[in-house]
Amino acid sequence: MRYTRRSTLVLLTGMAITPLAAVAQQDYPTRPITLVVPYGAGGTTDISARQMATMAEKILGQPIVVENHPGASGTNAMRAVASAEPDGYTLIATTSSPSFVTPALRDVGYDTLADFTPIMNYSGPFHGVVVPADSPYDTLDALIEGAKSGAVTYGTAGAMGGAHLAFASVAKDTGTMLQHVPFDGASKATAAVLGGHVDAALVPAYRDLVQDGQLRLLGVLDGTNDADFPDAPTLKEAGLAAEFPSIVGIMAPAGTDPAIIAKLETAFTEVASSDGFKTFMTDLSQPVRIMSGDDLAARIEENLAAYREIAKDLGN
Amino acid sequence: MLVDAFLELLNLWVLVAALVGIISGIIIGAIPGLGPTMAIALLIPVTFSMQPIPAIILLLGVYQGAIFGGSISAVLLNVPGTPSSAATAIDGFAMARRGEGGRALRFALYASVVGNIFSCLVLMALAEPLARFALDFGPAEMAMLMLFALLVIVLFGGGSKLDALIMVLVGACAGVVGLDPISGTPRFTFGSFAFENGFQLIPVLIGLFAMSEVLLQAFDREALVGDVKVPPLKSSVVRFVELWRMRMTLFLSSLIGTFVGILPGIGSTVPAFMSYSLARSRSADPDTFGRGAPEGVAAPEAANNAVTGGALVPTLALGIPGDAVTAVILGAFMLHGLAPGPFLFRDHGLEVYAIFEALLLSSIPTAILGLLFFRVAIHVTRIQPRHLLPAITILAIFGAFSVNNSLFDVWVMLGAGVLGCLLRRSNFPLPPLLIGLILGAPFEQSLRQALLTSGGGYGIFVGSPITIGLVALTVLSLAISLFFNLRKPRI
Repeated sequence: MRYTRRSTLVLLTGMAITPLAAVAQQDYPTRPITLVVPYGAGGTTDISARQMATMAEKILGQPIVVENHPGASGTNAMRAVASAEPDGYTLIATTSSPSFVTPALRDVGYDTLADFTPIMNYSGPFHGVVVPADSPYDTLDALIEGAKSGAVTYGTAGAMGGAHLAFASVAKDTGTMLQHVPFDGASKATAAVLGGHVDAALVPAYRDLVQDGQLRLLGVLDGTNDADFPDAPTLKEAGLAAEFPSIVGIMAPAGTDPAIIAKLETAFTEVASSDGFKTFMTDLSQPVRIMSGDDLAARIEENLAAYREIAKDLGN
Repeated sequence: MLVDAFLELLNLWVLVAALVGIISGIIIGAIPGLGPTMAIALLIPVTFSMQPIPAIILLLGVYQGAIFGGSISAVLLNVPGTPSSAATAIDGFAMARRGEGGRALRFALYASVVGNIFSCLVLMALAEPLARFALDFGPAEMAMLMLFALLVIVLFGGGSKLDALIMVLVGACAGVVGLDPISGTPRFTFGSFAFENGFQLIPVLIGLFAMSEVLLQAFDREALVGDVKVPPLKSSVVRFVELWRMRMTLFLSSLIGTFVGILPGIGSTVPAFMSYSLARSRSADPDTFGRGAPEGVAAPEAANNAVTGGALVPTLALGIPGDAVTAVILGAFMLHGLAPGPFLFRDHGLEVYAIFEALLLSSIPTAILGLLFFRVAIHVTRIQPRHLLPAITILAIFGAFSVNNSLFDVWVMLGAGVLGCLLRRSNFPLPPLLIGLILGAPFEQSLRQALLTSGGGYGIFVGSPITIGLVALTVLSLAISLFFNLRKPRI
């Protein structure tokens, strides 16, 4: 009797819960979703995430509220989202630096692979190797060759960023004197290379200055070519074993229901593939690069390992 | 071209956009903690569906309005709404305490308009050549310029030079906390992630100036018993002659503001203090500074408003923004299909000149709205402290939190408030502390960047005509100050 009673209870409870869980997935979202942006309002990551949110809320049927949580190169926001409830109502639109660069260097209070489920990737600005128009270096080879006989300085957006680490590994592999000069943001590094204060710079947003002839593009740090400059080689094409792939993707805290992840992936991918979003991103000089959640996860895992290796070599 | 551009402005929406922008800018600027950056970022989505010209005019109106609005709370409450109006508070509040708040506000308004018009004209005439010139300022040049700026603040800022020096160093030391700018390793963070960001300027500013004022008054036993006597409001007429007499101050301040604005990364607080110090050192009667000298209000206001035009020079001509505000404005230009950079003037000359002309003309609505706004705002000085102080406290906490949505910043603000209160009780000047905090970290970074590019050689600091000029200026100011010190009769 006791046995039956307990089993009945279990059965009843089970029956009561099952449809609820199913309903929860089917109905998702039933309230507004928060999309955290790890940078300040008004930057390109913020502006593109806001557009993504505006267009996706029409598909999902619930408002998506963008919340800026800047500071510590994005790691503050990542830490906050990692510990958020994995119910699909807190998401983050994040980039390369807090996903696989900074975590490879020091303890940041989260593990990108264990604490997040990537949903999809929708952008990622190209970083170019640029030199002033009157520079003696015409190719990446010439730049590396020049760094064999004397120090060649290069500016980046900041210490221990992805661009810096990529070139640090190049310097090590080729045994050259590539001297890093970190700036406070990519725009100041661009100004320094325009003024000839550094020999080269590794920066995004170089298109107009290169087309105007003020800067020369020697190559891109990404794994693929920039469609605007198909002749500029990737580092790998130039025979150098390094790359800094740029991602801008949406992730959820690990443990979020796979059905919710699938629903979000479909919705965000639909937005990213639309003509409206593409036009918007072109106005912003940002590429649209769509990747599935699984591919994004693989990309992060691969780069996290690569950057840990580089960081070890740098003696950290 | 200029006429065609002007015709573009004859549109009701342009006027509406300018008015909405300026009004929201003034209000947001007057609230401590809410600066132009946040205001513009929040308004960008509102402009998505607008035509490019009114959209940009709205955002630039916010920028101009906010810089000016910051001076209203600085003058009336001694609480700078934006960091750049901290210099305005020194003499502005002293005037307000005499009942001359209206006059101080008018001086601030007219000086703002002068600074704004000056820098707009420079922007229209010389954007491209000046942007080129700004590029000549590399790490070594920036380091020497910042050293000179620090020296000017210490030597000519008024009060004891030793006190000012100590405060600058305290500020610079506070700037060390956070990630090392060159190697990226954490410094003085005590293993806490929150400290990695360092002490942010806005929470420190609000704490030092607003919270410390609240604490000072709260612990001042006499003041709060019964109703505090407020000074009767005096006439706020400012005659043209008075402005004409300070024409050189206005001109030099506008020049400093525009010039520093063109260089990336210094912002509008430092030129405001530099202009204040310069005006004081040039004045026939330097002792009136700090006790309510109209020139002490006009000089920093002309400078910090002139920064807006200057900062747009590299932003628009090269696509290189110098600070957070212009970075946000850059994004707004791009969204409206006007990508800043070398092609902007070629491809969108008409729109750009229309925007410049609107910037110039917006001085008229700014002046009218400002004067209307004063009529209401001036009565703030007659509110009893027991009503006013809790309101300031709420705004301070809210403002500190809103910068990064972080509670850590609120603690920083409260800590800075206690520190500010103690320093004011012991008569240390706070502005040099603020300048030390603003310039300390970038000075260190520029210095180390220059040494990295030179391979460790110090010759780079006298390696170009600009650095030589700046070093000469630095030595000259030291010599002048020393000379006057020696000639002073010993007591």
